[in-house]
Formats: sequence, structure tokens, C-alpha cells
Amino acid sequence: MRSAPGLDVRSNALSAAVLVEPPLSLYVHMPWCVRKCPYCDFNSYTAPAQVPQRAYIDALIADLEHDRDLVRGRPIVSIFFGGGTPSLFAPEEIARFLTAVQDLVEVAPDAEVTLEANPGSVERGLFREYRAAGINRISLGAQTFNPQHLRRLGRIHGPAEIANAVDEIVRSGIENFNLDIMYALPEQSVIEALADLDAALALAPTHISHYQLTLEPGTVFYHRPPPLPDSDTAWEMQQRCQERLACAGYLQYEVSAYARDAYRCAHNLNYWRFGDYLGLGAGAHGKITRAAEQMVLRTVRVRQPRVYLQRAPEMRLDERRRVAREELPFEFMLNVLRLHEGFDELLFESRTGVSFREVAPIMEKARVLGLLECVSQRTWRPTELGRRFLNDLLTLFLEGPKNVIQ
Amino acid sequence: MNLIRNFSIIAHVDHGKSTLADRFIQLCGGLQQREMEDQVLDSMALERERGITIKAQSVSLNYRARDGQVYELNLIDTPGHVDFSYEVSRSLAACEGALLVVDAAQGVEAQSVANCYTAIEQGLEVVPVLNKIDLPSADPERVIHEIEEIIGIEAKDALRVSAKTGENVPELLEELIRRIPPPKGDPDAPLQALIIDSWFDNYVGVVSLVRVMNGALHKGAKIRVWSTGRTYTVDKLGKFTPKSVETEALTTGEVGFVIAGIKDIDGAPVGDTITLDNKPCSAPLAGFKQVQPRVFAGLFPVRSDDYEAFRDALAKLKLNDSALHYEPEVSAALGYGFRCGFLGLLHMDIVQERLEREYDLELITSAPTVVYEVVKTDGSTLYVDNPAKLPPQNEIEDLREPIITANILVPPQHVGGVIKLCTEKRGRQTKMQYLGSQVSLQYEMPLAEVVLDFFDRLKSVSRGFASFDYEFKCFESAPLVKLDILINGERVDALSVIVHKDNAYQRGRELVDKLQELIPRQMFEVAVQAAIGNHVIARATVKALRKNVTAKCYGGDVTRKRKLLEKQKEGKKRMKQLGTVEIPQEAFLAVLQVGKEKGS
Repeated sequence: MRSAPGLDVRSNALSAAVLVEPPLSLYVHMPWCVRKCPYCDFNSYTAPAQVPQRAYIDALIADLEHDRDLVRGRPIVSIFFGGGTPSLFAPEEIARFLTAVQDLVEVAPDAEVTLEANPGSVERGLFREYRAAGINRISLGAQTFNPQHLRRLGRIHGPAEIANAVDEIVRSGIENFNLDIMYALPEQSVIEALADLDAALALAPTHISHYQLTLEPGTVFYHRPPPLPDSDTAWEMQQRCQERLACAGYLQYEVSAYARDAYRCAHNLNYWRFGDYLGLGAGAHGKITRAAEQMVLRTVRVRQPRVYLQRAPEMRLDERRRVAREELPFEFMLNVLRLHEGFDELLFESRTGVSFREVAPIMEKARVLGLLECVSQRTWRPTELGRRFLNDLLTLFLEGPKNVIQ
Repeated sequence: MNLIRNFSIIAHVDHGKSTLADRFIQLCGGLQQREMEDQVLDSMALERERGITIKAQSVSLNYRARDGQVYELNLIDTPGHVDFSYEVSRSLAACEGALLVVDAAQGVEAQSVANCYTAIEQGLEVVPVLNKIDLPSADPERVIHEIEEIIGIEAKDALRVSAKTGENVPELLEELIRRIPPPKGDPDAPLQALIIDSWFDNYVGVVSLVRVMNGALHKGAKIRVWSTGRTYTVDKLGKFTPKSVETEALTTGEVGFVIAGIKDIDGAPVGDTITLDNKPCSAPLAGFKQVQPRVFAGLFPVRSDDYEAFRDALAKLKLNDSALHYEPEVSAALGYGFRCGFLGLLHMDIVQERLEREYDLELITSAPTVVYEVVKTDGSTLYVDNPAKLPPQNEIEDLREPIITANILVPPQHVGGVIKLCTEKRGRQTKMQYLGSQVSLQYEMPLAEVVLDFFDRLKSVSRGFASFDYEFKCFESAPLVKLDILINGERVDALSVIVHKDNAYQRGRELVDKLQELIPRQMFEVAVQAAIGNHVIARATVKALRKNVTAKCYGGDVTRKRKLLEKQKEGKKRMKQLGTVEIPQEAFLAVLQVGKEKGS
């Protein structure tokens, strides 16, 4: 609907916010695992006898060549190899890809370059080579140190392999590494959950991702649910583990992320601050802000590795769509409210192009409900209650911004 | 006129009335084979799903009889459920006879007995028919005996038919012509047409089904509706064969529809008389006695902006359903809505479903209640259909509850269970009679107990064999108290109930436990209390949820997470927000659910 002439001034004032191109990351998806875990809902597949490493890396490079026009002139601030199990790829292939990245786009000199690895899928001396290839951070999928729970989760490694892998990482000279630990595992006790955390802390990682196991649609566990601890027990685990993490000097900065000193994960932080990212590889998602067109673009590449490899780079995008302006506030909140630090109003406006005044009534409602607090002039963050009931908080933003004049 | 037969079929819910009607339509060529949708007469989708007839419907059939003459058979359908006995009496008012269809295996059921008496009272010729004769378990001799014993009409020559296979159905049509008298009436007298039913059609406005008692009605005639005195011009006349077929006139004894540009939905009240404006009759037809709703409940739109739409929907439903009563109600807890009066629980269910299905409304229903007669200390009497409106205890001189006379028919092996149930429901036995294979029980029982869950319980204690019918008897003093429910210390008016003093503690405990189970754990702890006056008699706590947060969210998850949250939100849509507490719809009906588990 066209607004009446008299309203134009006001309408301009409301939509005065301007989209600014945020930091840009690079996500690279490696879709194969030695075995698919029953709880995992990521886009991953059991690896064939011979992973087509060379062809896949070629495809990734072609993806980047295809996408780089979208982000011309913008430096890459972080790279993340996720999966699947990226450590199934040989260091020379990873090196070949990273060299191509350097040739095709600008990479910030201090960029964080993370490789996900699973204990039991890495051979001796491998991390040294990954480091030489340009990897400077490892995220290790330890999950638990309890042999029974490892088996229950369908993991191929034992507790000894975790320690070995960490030893290898440290000796390779990569000092920045994360351990993934899960809690509320089938029939797990609070004591066992704490024991897992202690075992992880003993390995002195710079970062711990401490997740509650949840049953996701499309997984084996979802269809045949294992006997999980009840919600009160899971809550006790979370509280006691959080205390222990805090005592050990790991600061929680997101729902499930804890870091020592300055070792927060730059790559994930960029997601959660609603930054941009190119998504390369099978099923990879991308989000790109185009300041010139004042729009946000989302891309999704075809999921099936076989189909992905068959298609020409320009045919691999399953989806490429402009995010509707009214959806941006929700998407922003979905990410940014996971962070304990919250956000300031300027970040909201520059990342969504929507005036903060449009969401102010919802912010105020959330504040009255005790879910959000305004900590300084223009900085908002979730309260302790808001962090515990993040979904309820986010639901408020599903209404879409109020008083939108179109 | 001698070639017209107007009749109804009286039958219990699943004794095969609709199937028999379909056979008639088929035999008379009313529809081509491919047009036959099973059970044509039950035309509302809801009726078809539940397999019961709610509204009167009619069909006019041309039947060539064995005497070589072509007869016009007008079948006016009647509902088979106890809630709808009112609709039965107005269908019967348009007939000279009725077929009493009894399942040859199951025997006579209480509702058929009641409807049959209504027919006999109205002077109709009742023709008994045994249906489902094809069933191996059919026992016609026993059932004939039952008809004679229980209803008291001769049945030894009753035709034995199978509507399913068609066996003996042609003979039944012949019998019908022979036994049911043609309509009487004076074709030359001023027009008197009885409005049997009216409904609203979005294209033509009000459509009325009428029976012409005297005189004739022509297309283009200027008619007058007796009670309103308003006049209209007849646009269309016709009959349902069951397809609608237009005619030029409806003459004495005929049944058909009238469309006269009536836009106002109160313009053609059921039971009213239509006459001609220039040559009016001197008096209206007897019509029907006003029906009294017995069960009341508050209906509230979940979204307050639906209020207007809700009001319009009720007004439209009301046109087709004169038994539905409603008036505005304001609840502190549920906002603006309507207090609705129903014939019974099934009627309430059906109205709510139609409102939700046909008008796309989302509604919260408060627990159903009956009307209480309250004599106040100042000597005045008032009728309370809403527990929240009960005056304070110290202003009540006498509190009286409605008592019904319940007639139950049950096979002897289940009598014990039924008696136990009736006693538990505060019933007093007034009659017990063994009649062949069935026992006839009569009880005086508080209607409030029947409203609760009597139907379901009766079904379960008798394995479905007991049948039941009731009529209002009187108001009677009883030691009743108002039981309030408090959520986080706040009285929720829509959850108040009036209960017998002796049951109050138990009911309070059960209600509180049920609410604790029905109210989902949420952000904050929820305290649920039951109280009589200021005295808390039961308490339970819904523990606070620990958290509601997704463990993982990275770059690729936006769409999925949005869907997940939208689903969560959808689940909350049917909840009513009371302060910070979200109460699901089921909680408002918790009173209906307590005590059920112990039943069977």
C-alpha cells in the first residue's frame, strides 16, 4: 500500500537504518564421517571406501570462484571446516584448498582457521601437517570420556584416543583447541556428567562446547528415543557443570560455549553477531549482505554429496533468496540473543537495516517479562531468565516488527 | 391430496434410518445411482462424521404404487439423539404418520420410546418396522414382544426389512401408503403454512421448509410471517427430491421450501405460521412449545479481535437452531464472550465444532453447568446459569437444583452397574420393571450429575447396551456450594463450579490434581488451589520449567529454528494467558474429566 504523502517523512525516519556489510567468514562443509552417529542431524554421510578428496576440493574451489563476485573486496576473517569429519581429508588437500582461497580472495592475516576433527580419525603426526597447511584451531568431537556412553552414542573412539588426539594437537603447536562435550546422555548420572567435564578440563583446552544432548528430527535417536535423564536431572547437570567451568576459568559467552581468556571462537561469534559467511560444499548455507542493494541474501548448496559433485558450480545452489526485511529482526535475535554480551542498537540497525524503533515495543515487552535487560544506554542483553527461556524470548519476535509502514 | 403421505422415521442413532431413507430415494428414482452418496439425508459434514442426524431435513419422492397411482411421499427426517427431542417434535408436527424403525437384533432403545410417545401424543399413526433382518443375530420375535411391552403398540404384523439388502423395502412403501392417512386440510381456506425449519443460505438468504396445512402458496404471492407481521414476496418455491426442484405452487398437505428474500435472520422463526398478506388466516397454527436450554457454558474467542465474527456466527447458527440460546458474558479471566444455552452436551459439542469448522473461530469453552434456582434472603428468586454469578452464601435462603426424570432401558445382566452409577449420581429410583429381555429403570436425578459424564459412564457400565432418555421434572433444594479455583492466588471465574457439599472436598482435590496435570510446566511455578469461600480445601503446584532453549544454533539453522519456534508458538495459540500463566483449553473442561478414570 502506498502511504499518504503526509506520512512519507515519518516512514523515512523509521526506515532510516542502513544495512552495512559485516565481517565475512567462510564455512566449508565436508560431508563424510567414518560412521553416522545416531544423534547427529547434520548433513553427513557414511564415507565411501575412497573419499573423492581431490574432486571434492576441486568442487570447493570452483564454489569459491563462483561466489567471490558476491563479496569482492571484503576480507575473510575466519574459516571453518565443519562436517561430517573434515579430518578425513588429507592435509595436502586442505593445503591445496587454503592456497586457492588465498589466491581468490583476501584473507585477514590474523584469521582464525578451524578444522573439526574426531578422535580416532587422525593418525600420528597429522596435526603438524594441518598446521603447516594453515589450520590454527582444532575443534575435537570428544563428546564423553565414558566408554559406555561413547558406545551408546555410536562413537568410534575410546577415551584413550581423545587424550592421544589432544596430545598430538598440542605437540603440533596448535595451542587453540576446543573440546565438544555432551551431557544428559542416555542413563547418565550427575556424577558421570561432572566426571566427563573434569576429564575435559584436565586436557586444558582453550574452549569447551558443552551441549545438552537433544533428540533432533531425522535421527535414529528421535525415532527410537534412548532413556534420557529427566529435565530436573539435566538441569542439575548443567548447573553443576557451569559452576565447575567457571571455577576453572572458562567463561560462558553463549548458550553452550565456554572459553578461557580471549579464546572465544571468532567464527561462531560472527554467526551469532549476525555476520556474513560464504558456505561452500554440499549442503552449506551462506548469508551475504549486499550494501549496494540494501539486502541480505541466503544461499544453500545441494545437500547430497553425489549430486553436488555431479553438478556444475552454478547449478549447485539449491536456494538463493533475498531475506524479507520483516524477517531480519527475528533472524538477528535468533543469533545475537544466544550471546551473554547481548548487542547494542547500532549493531541491530546496521545488520538488519531496520530501525530499532520498530522492535522497541517487543524489546520493552520482553523487558517487562524479565527476559531482557538494558544494561547501558543502547545495549541490551538477555537476563538469566531470558537465557534459560531463550525460545520463549525469541517467540516474541516472531510477531514481526510492529508499526511497519510500507 | 389423497395421494400425499407425510411421514417421519423414528429410530435410534444407528438403527439404520439413513440407510432406509436412501433405499426409498433409490426405489423412487430420486437420484441416479452415481448421485447416491451414502446417506444423502445427513447432509452436514458433521452429521456424516458422527453418523447422527442433527437438523430436520426433508425429501419429496414420487412413488408409483401397485394400485397404479403415483403418490407423493414426503419424508421429514428426525434426529435420533436425546439432546434433540425438540427437533423431533417439530418434524412430527408436519406429519400424519411415522415409521418406528427398530433394530431386530438390538431391540427397543429409550430414545425411540420417547420419540414414539411424542408421535402418539401428536396423533400420528405409528407403523412399527423391524430392520437389519439380515443380521444373524436378528431376533424379530423377541423385538416384537419388546415393542408391544415397552411402547404398547401392536407389532405382531410389523414388516421385517433389511435396508441394507433392500429386502421387503418395496412392501414397506406399500404398507406406508395403506396405513398412514393422507393429509387433511381445506384447500380453499386462507393459507396456513407451518415453518418446520429455516436456514441461511449465502446466496438467496433465508430458506424455509414449510408444510402447507390449509390453502395454497403460489410463486409471486405476497406472504406475511405471523409473529413479526412482516411481509415478503415469494421468489421461489420448490421441493427436495432430494435435489431441489422448483415448483409454481405448494398446495394443502404438501411439504416444500420457500425463498422470499428474507435477509434478516430472525425473519422466519421455526414454528411460526406463514399466511397471505391479502387474505390472512384468522389464527396462527399451534406451533411448538418454546424449548428450554438445560446446559449452559461460556464460549470465548481465543483472540479478542474475533469477538465480532463470533457474534455474527452465533446469530447465523441460531437461525438454523432455535434451541441455541446466547447472551453476552464478560469473564475476568477470559474476556468478552457469550453465555450459551444448549439442549445437552452433544448439542454443545456440535455447536462448538460448527463454530470452529464453518466459521474458523478458535474458542475456549468453560465447564458446562445447569441452571439453579436461588431464593434470596430478601425473598426474591433468581435463576443462575453461571457459577460465577451465584450470590454470596449469606444472601442465599435456598439453593435449588434441576431434577430430571431419567428413563433407562438396559439388559438384565447390566442392571447392577447401572443402578450403582445412578446411586453414585445422587439418583433416586422410582420404578424398576422387567420387560422380556430388557429392564426399564426410572430415576429422579440431579441434571448437574447427568451433564457431567453420565452418558459416557452409562455406556461403559452397560457395554453400550443401556439407552437413556430424560425430561425435566422440577427444582429441588440441595446442600450445594460454590467451589472456586485460584491460579496463583487469583480466582478464575470461568473455573468455578457448583457442587454438592458432600462431594466438595473430593471434587476440589480431583479438580486441582487434574489442573496440575493439564497446565504445562512453564517459566514460573503455578499454584493451583480449590476454595469454598475463603477456605482453601486443596492445593497443588505446577513446577516451573527449568529452561526452554535450543542447545545448538549455527549458520545453517535459521529456517529450521524458525519453524521449531513457530510450532512452539502454534501450540500456545489455544492457551489463554492469565497474568503470566498460560492455561490450555482442556483446563477449562477439567471438571468434565475428573472422576472418569474411576468409572469403569
